[in-house]
Amino acid sequence: MANYFNTLPLREQLAELGKCRFMHLDEFEDGVEALKGKKMVVIGCGAQGLNQGLNLRDSGLDVSYTLRAAAIEEKRQSWKNATENGFTVGTYEELLPTADVVLNLTPDKQHTNVVETVMPMMKEGACLSYSHGFNIVEEGMQVRDDITVIMVAPKCPGSEVRAEYVRGFGVPTLIAVHEDNDPNGEGLALAKAYAVGTGGHKAGVLMSSFIAEVKSDLMGEQTILCGMLQTGSLLCFDKMVEEGVDPAYASKLIQYGWETVTEALKYGGVTNMMDRLSNPAKIRAFDLSEQMKDIMRPLYRKHQDDIMTGRFSETMMADWANDDAELLGWRADTAETPFEKTPAGDMEIAEQEYFDNGILMVAMVKAGVELAFETMTAAGIIADSAYYESLHETPLIANTIARKKLYEMNATISDTAEYGCYLYNHACVPLLADFMKPIKSDVIGKGLELDDTGVDNARLIEVNEAIRSHPVEAIGAELRGYMADMKRIV
Amino acid sequence: MPSGAISLDGLSVDFDGRFELVDITWTINPGEHWLIVGANGSGKSALAAVLAGEGSSISGTISGVPERVCLVSYERQAELIEAERRKDDADILDVISEGTPAAEIIADASHDHDLAQELVDSLGLRPLMGRAFRKLSTGETRKVMLIRALTRNPELLVLDAPFDGLDNKSLGWLQAHLAQLAATVPMVLVLNRFDECPDFITHVAYIDDGRLLETVARDDARAMAELGKLLHLQTTDLEVPAADPSAELPPLDPGEPLVCLTGATIRYQDNTVFENLDWTIEPNQHWQLSGPNGSGKTSLLALITGDHPQCYVNDIKVFGFQRGSGESIWQIKQYMGYVSTALQWEYRVGTGLRNVIISGFFDSIGLYSKSTDVQKALADEWLALLGMSHRADEPFNSLSHGDQRLVLIARAMVKHPPLLILDEPCLGLDDINRQLVLALIERICASGKTAVLYVNHRPQDRIPGIEEHLQLDA
Repeated sequence: MANYFNTLPLREQLAELGKCRFMHLDEFEDGVEALKGKKMVVIGCGAQGLNQGLNLRDSGLDVSYTLRAAAIEEKRQSWKNATENGFTVGTYEELLPTADVVLNLTPDKQHTNVVETVMPMMKEGACLSYSHGFNIVEEGMQVRDDITVIMVAPKCPGSEVRAEYVRGFGVPTLIAVHEDNDPNGEGLALAKAYAVGTGGHKAGVLMSSFIAEVKSDLMGEQTILCGMLQTGSLLCFDKMVEEGVDPAYASKLIQYGWETVTEALKYGGVTNMMDRLSNPAKIRAFDLSEQMKDIMRPLYRKHQDDIMTGRFSETMMADWANDDAELLGWRADTAETPFEKTPAGDMEIAEQEYFDNGILMVAMVKAGVELAFETMTAAGIIADSAYYESLHETPLIANTIARKKLYEMNATISDTAEYGCYLYNHACVPLLADFMKPIKSDVIGKGLELDDTGVDNARLIEVNEAIRSHPVEAIGAELRGYMADMKRIV
Repeated sequence: MPSGAISLDGLSVDFDGRFELVDITWTINPGEHWLIVGANGSGKSALAAVLAGEGSSISGTISGVPERVCLVSYERQAELIEAERRKDDADILDVISEGTPAAEIIADASHDHDLAQELVDSLGLRPLMGRAFRKLSTGETRKVMLIRALTRNPELLVLDAPFDGLDNKSLGWLQAHLAQLAATVPMVLVLNRFDECPDFITHVAYIDDGRLLETVARDDARAMAELGKLLHLQTTDLEVPAADPSAELPPLDPGEPLVCLTGATIRYQDNTVFENLDWTIEPNQHWQLSGPNGSGKTSLLALITGDHPQCYVNDIKVFGFQRGSGESIWQIKQYMGYVSTALQWEYRVGTGLRNVIISGFFDSIGLYSKSTDVQKALADEWLALLGMSHRADEPFNSLSHGDQRLVLIARAMVKHPPLLILDEPCLGLDDINRQLVLALIERICASGKTAVLYVNHRPQDRIPGIEEHLQLDA
């Protein structure tokens, strides 16, 4: 199988990368009608599979689960998940031939194998849905011509997909139709109904393409989302310990600090996150982030270039073929890092203190978000996609770190994200070594502790202007505005 | 018990078979001034009257009551007027009797005549002194009663609703006089309005249904505030707000049960929670569901609410929908209001109270839909009923546990669902808040067309009007 993206002429590559549109609520007035009475069969009963299925069933749709015969016989966890929740469970042979829609919710790594197995069993004119475009775009999976191929990708972990639905809301969701596989022109209607069934339409749906989703998702997850937070955690912890900060405090400041500062990011973009700092701290954070952006820019470009050319997925698939030797080795190393091994202390850290004592962390988030956004848009990815895959998703990963620290975060995120995080972390730690040398506890661990918090007016205006006029802020304000229109009152 | 204290120990008192005080245990220590509060008919006047020796003791003891207890109450006032009237009837001479003049009524009872004259002037009774007592207005006879009590050198002054019917000038004067008197005379006041509580009051007793349920020290600000809300809820004239006329639910078949479970079973791999359970809930039928922990009460409710995934493998019909026939969960939820501790934990939002109540129209946690002016107005009516009007925009998560529960009950009821499910609504609440919640539920039960399904294992948390009962065994 060849990399699908690379088979397209540049013109079409750019057109696909440029697809991304925020859909309006009135485009979903048909509700789940397009799926009503159709037989939906889910492959994979992990967190996404189970929780999406629960939502779809609660929306009045017919959902069952298919598992490999061995998983059923051995009553594996996936079988328990499905049966205890009252779903019909059957083998591929039992359920797939009558399925109208097959939902492939297995990990990326298994896609080729799964799709090759199920495709021959699927009935004429059925629909195959993905929640990630990797298999189609990077692995070049060729799906039978009569089958409609769509993507519905809730932009949150499975548990949240369910929790938000139960609250009466949903999570932002990306949908796409694989143009080469839309024989009856019904792909969009099916994808929209699926998004309604999971509650996604209430939180905002982005109409994208398989290609834009893959190329932006890979870039975001390996740089700012997982890579930058992982690298930043390790560097900041070691620096604080070196500077004599209580390791238990340092561990807590990092574990919960990302979540706290990116919460500000979620509400009001980089501008609001920076505004949470005092004036002198803001100027320090700005300067630090500018330095880091200059140092890391080539790394971000390399990641984006490798994603665009397909080199990243080749490297990763080679490691898959090698039983994940590189990845698992690195994962084990993460468990041994001082940050991971130092439990968070039980001291109180006030919300504002995470900003005041975490100036460097704020600077890292700003540098990572802006660089990822700049690099993606420079590569032809539309600003809307770039925003979602950088700034918008950072708080989600930060939240995972707050709950589970790094090792578990890596075990939780997708195969592609973890492999990308591994590559990034490997390169970025040495890259920032010289930058980190002169860093003191005033910007990480203890706060500036200034007697005089005055700043120069002209400099403050200059810094504010630079923060506010970054392109990620303009598109962010627009998209957050749409989200607010969705009337989520938080 | 310190010397000089008045002590009631397990005291039950009968009032002519009309009312009973039950098992009152209460101590009034020297230096304390008490306020007795409660809803109408709760027994607060009876409790006050007991101190003046009224009622017949059934069991328990009362001790330490001083010799001169002076009681002013409507009952005493009525008795005196009645006595005057009988005197009149008893007059066998064919002379038109004016009855006893007010001056005489006062002089008969007073020990301190100089003070009596001073009070007569202060309360503006001077021009009425020659008039017959029974010809005075209610407010005027009340003033006479007060003067009688205040001038008898009381050792304990018991004043039942002393401020009712007084003009502002007299009220101000009386309050000042009582404040002065408080330094030497212990007092027990009964008031209908909490906000009239004089500054010298040190303790508050809360009575309901003849039982002393709560005693609160004045300086316990939190408990005082909760007591205030409870009284509001029990005494307010506000009604349970109406449903939203512009958003009526699709009508249900009135002949069909709201809920029908047939052979309901919840089973996990190695554990059966319950099996083969049949249950039908008819419209307007109030149920109590009880059973020990682990008997599956919450799971059973979740089958009805659709929150338990095994609702799809059971034979369940709710609001006319056979579960698993292509209905959506939101079609089910629109007919239900639901309150539980779990919901309260889930409801961790900083949304304002008004929006929390409005979210009940949408069955959502948080508010994600545009609301109409009518919905906003109804939410405000609910807040008024709860005595929380001034807090409409306060964030929900800053409320006390008990207040959150009240707001969630209002949220559940705001759309007037055919079925209201209350899963241990008093769980985790202290006594006052428990009373608050029960008072609100009672108002709801009495208010209309909602069937209430009430889950509880505390037998003392009874709600009048709930007759059907389902018991689950462990």
